[in-house]
Amino acid sequence: MGSGADLLPGTLDLLILKAVSLAPLHGYGILLRIQQLSRAMLQIEQGSLYPALYRLEHRGLISPEWGVSDNNRRAKYYRLTAAGRNQLRREAEEWRRLNDAVEYVLGATPQEV
Amino acid sequence: MFTRFRSFAHAISRRRRVESDLADELQFHLDARVQDLISQGMAPEEARRRARLEFGATDRVREECREARGLRVIDTIVRNTRFALRLLRRDPVFTTTAVATLALCIGANTAVFSLVDAVLLRPLPYPDPARLAQVVVTYARNGESTVQSALTGAVWEAVRDRAAGLDAAAISESTPEVNLFADGHALSVRQQRVGSGFFRVLGVPPFMGREFTADEDRQGGPPVAVLSHAVWLSQVGGDRTIVGRTIHLRGEPYTVVGVMPPDFRTGWLADVWTPLRPTTTGEGGGSNYSVIARLRPGITEPEADAQLQRIGTDVIRGVDGPNAASGRLQQISLQRGMTEEVRQPLLLLWGAVALVLIIGCANIAGLQLARSSVRAREIGTRVAIGAGRGAVVGQLLTESVVLAVLGAAAGIVVGWLVMAALMPALVTTFGLWQPAGLSVRLLGVSIVVAGATGVAFGLWPALTATRTDLRSAFAEAGHRGVAGRAHPWPRRLLIVIQMALGITLLVGAGLFVRTFLSLNTQPAGFDPTGVFTAHISLQDARYKTTEQVVRLFDESLFRIQSLSGVVAAGVMLTPPYERALNLGFMPTDGRTGNFTTNACYVTPGALRALRVSTLRGRSITEADRAATEHVVVVNEAFVRRYYPQRDILGESMRLGGTARNVVGVVGDVPVKSGWGNYGPLAAVPTVYLPAAQMPDASISMIHTWFPPTWVVRTVGDGAPLLLGIQKAVGAADPLLPVTGFRSIDDVRADSLALQRLRAELFGGLALLALVLTFTGLAGLIAHGVAQRSHEIGIRLALGARASRIVGRTVGQGMLLAAVGALAGVGLALAGARLVERLIWGVRPGDPLTYVVAVVGLLCVAAVASLVPALAIARVDPARTLRSE
Repeated sequence: MGSGADLLPGTLDLLILKAVSLAPLHGYGILLRIQQLSRAMLQIEQGSLYPALYRLEHRGLISPEWGVSDNNRRAKYYRLTAAGRNQLRREAEEWRRLNDAVEYVLGATPQEV
Repeated sequence: MFTRFRSFAHAISRRRRVESDLADELQFHLDARVQDLISQGMAPEEARRRARLEFGATDRVREECREARGLRVIDTIVRNTRFALRLLRRDPVFTTTAVATLALCIGANTAVFSLVDAVLLRPLPYPDPARLAQVVVTYARNGESTVQSALTGAVWEAVRDRAAGLDAAAISESTPEVNLFADGHALSVRQQRVGSGFFRVLGVPPFMGREFTADEDRQGGPPVAVLSHAVWLSQVGGDRTIVGRTIHLRGEPYTVVGVMPPDFRTGWLADVWTPLRPTTTGEGGGSNYSVIARLRPGITEPEADAQLQRIGTDVIRGVDGPNAASGRLQQISLQRGMTEEVRQPLLLLWGAVALVLIIGCANIAGLQLARSSVRAREIGTRVAIGAGRGAVVGQLLTESVVLAVLGAAAGIVVGWLVMAALMPALVTTFGLWQPAGLSVRLLGVSIVVAGATGVAFGLWPALTATRTDLRSAFAEAGHRGVAGRAHPWPRRLLIVIQMALGITLLVGAGLFVRTFLSLNTQPAGFDPTGVFTAHISLQDARYKTTEQVVRLFDESLFRIQSLSGVVAAGVMLTPPYERALNLGFMPTDGRTGNFTTNACYVTPGALRALRVSTLRGRSITEADRAATEHVVVVNEAFVRRYYPQRDILGESMRLGGTARNVVGVVGDVPVKSGWGNYGPLAAVPTVYLPAAQMPDASISMIHTWFPPTWVVRTVGDGAPLLLGIQKAVGAADPLLPVTGFRSIDDVRADSLALQRLRAELFGGLALLALVLTFTGLAGLIAHGVAQRSHEIGIRLALGARASRIVGRTVGQGMLLAAVGALAGVGLALAGARLVERLIWGVRPGDPLTYVVAVVGLLCVAAVASLVPALAIARVDPARTLRSE
């Protein structure tokens, strides 16, 4: 999968919620979708994905159901719950505010100080 | 929060499913990745390797997933429990010993607690039981207070009229064997006479009809009755029209006014209630009533006591008691009043089983200590490869809890069996009238006891075990030339404690056994061989006069005497070994004061049938008729107490209003005393009166309390005799049922049932303590020998004599036993004061009991030390050397 940017702590949950908000996905699908959406810049450690999924499921933010994959195998699909949708909105806003703040700091020039 | 709980609950309840789903999901991921890598042009083998590498350790991922769902604690517990069960299976001797010990200890505790719960702790089954009280007179004597609950009619009237804060009712004891006829059926029932307001005070209204009015509860009031639900069902088939109809009690018509609800129970065990009709003369002149009460709303206990005390001491002068001047009228809780007699013995029994539990727990703690020192290597290894101290303690604790749960489960079964086996004896001896069973409360207490035991004996060894640092753990496990420095002191201390408590229990049991033996073997004063007794209740309208009663006696005895095998027969008011009538009397020699004696009317044949020896003068004869001089025959105990150093023949006394001359002295026959300080079964001052010379009024009153007893001496068997008596009585009066047919030995056994049960219960507990102590000591010695077998082998190889090593090992055990026994004697001497009032014919400091207890325990200790020490002789020095 090559190398890419490291994830900031806490962002994995946000990315998973976003990925499954677009369409129900199985675990491997979530991995591929994040990779695709980030233009291959974000690499998720495969081993940490599943504990994160179980954590989100335990908190009731996503709900699992068994379905059939493209290659006709039984696979566990995750979909966003109503609580998950709210959580995604809150975390996304949080992230954008943080992002803006960091931008302001990084964009500062000597004159502005 | 709720979703988390659901997810957690789901994870637990469908654990296997969740596990396999997780495995499937991860497998799907790996397969998909492999497919992608292959489609990117990688060789299948390489793709699989690569996929696994990228994913990392699946086990760790799974673990983290489980943790994410909150399953880790459960996992640990399940794993620890499995491990503990495996270990326990691998060590069956330890497991069996521990579980059996716990089962016996917890079983004994469960059984005794269920009894304590039913008798002392559970609130009375009436509304607002805390407001129920009993009015009593308390006497302070030598710093101890005695409670007198039997009161006179005068006290009852004073309480009724002057204690406005109490809603009170007077009652009488219940009378068994009363004949009830209703709807053509006859039944022997228990009748209790209760004052109006009895049911209102208890707070239980009749199920049908009403209770007695004040008008019905006075002398000459209309005869009315309230039936128990059971009698209503069995006797009149649950007929609802019974209220207002007539039934016959003792041959007299009574109008039924009410029926009580099915779950109504009292400690007096009655089937039919009739009005008390209290008086201040006759019955009411003596202490024959109890007074129960409910505190009126807003009245506190001190206020009620103050009202009762204002009544003054004058009114209690007629009450039986050590000293009227020191008496105080007061109220105590009804529950306490009803359990006054059994409270102390029951608490004592509870204390004894608690001691057994402590001994048992000490045993298990010892076993665990021994085991943990053997397992020090294993634990050391686990700590060495990185197990945290918490994890090791958790593991050891789990083992203890698993043991405790197994023990508790087995203990509940044992307790249930013990309860079931003892129930009939308990019902009569401890006055158990509420159902005792495996209540939720009882279950809770058992689990708490087991749990506390588990933690107590699990935590200590666990903490000592993990304190071991690695080097000493490996060194002390003893695979060096010498034995490791074991930590024997905690275990030795446990043994000493066990010994001390064991002695205490043995001494207690010994005192009770000696009490029973001394009561059971006291001189009978008559020849009991071939003597049988039977009761016939004469609470009957047709037997109101002495003439009617004596005619029945004469006719039935005439027929009984002609039965084959019958040597002699007679009728007496109460037989030997049973409670007798108490009567006040007044010597005519000018002495004043209170004189009390047992009184018993007899037909001339009764003392002859018993072969009671006449010591001076004459016995009662056929010549003593109603019209002849009124006479009395007294026993030796009477002479000893009231006429010492004086010739009693020719003296006279007033008895029940009649002057009588003393014409003879007979030997003592033991009876239940019920007054004075004579003990449960003793030679009590007694006067014998000719039945024919009883006044009419007193004979019918006495017959409401006692059914007269036919005593028959036979050379034949009991069974045909019963038939013969029934026929003989039937010929004289076909309506009188014969009850209570027993040999005189059975009468004695029944009278001593409480003392026997006490001796058996405490004896059983002492035996249990002995077995536990044996196991504990034997375990300690065996463990020491096993630990030192290597060292012993080397010593033997170097020429030490096995017998000397055995001797020293046994000596060690005996030293501990001796120290424990010494401590135990001190403890027992202190504890024996608690049983002082329950033992007879033996002193609390009885030297023989103590010597037997100490010698017995030391013998057990000797065997417990010797048997495991003999293993030393089997140590083979050659093998020890080879293994070096």
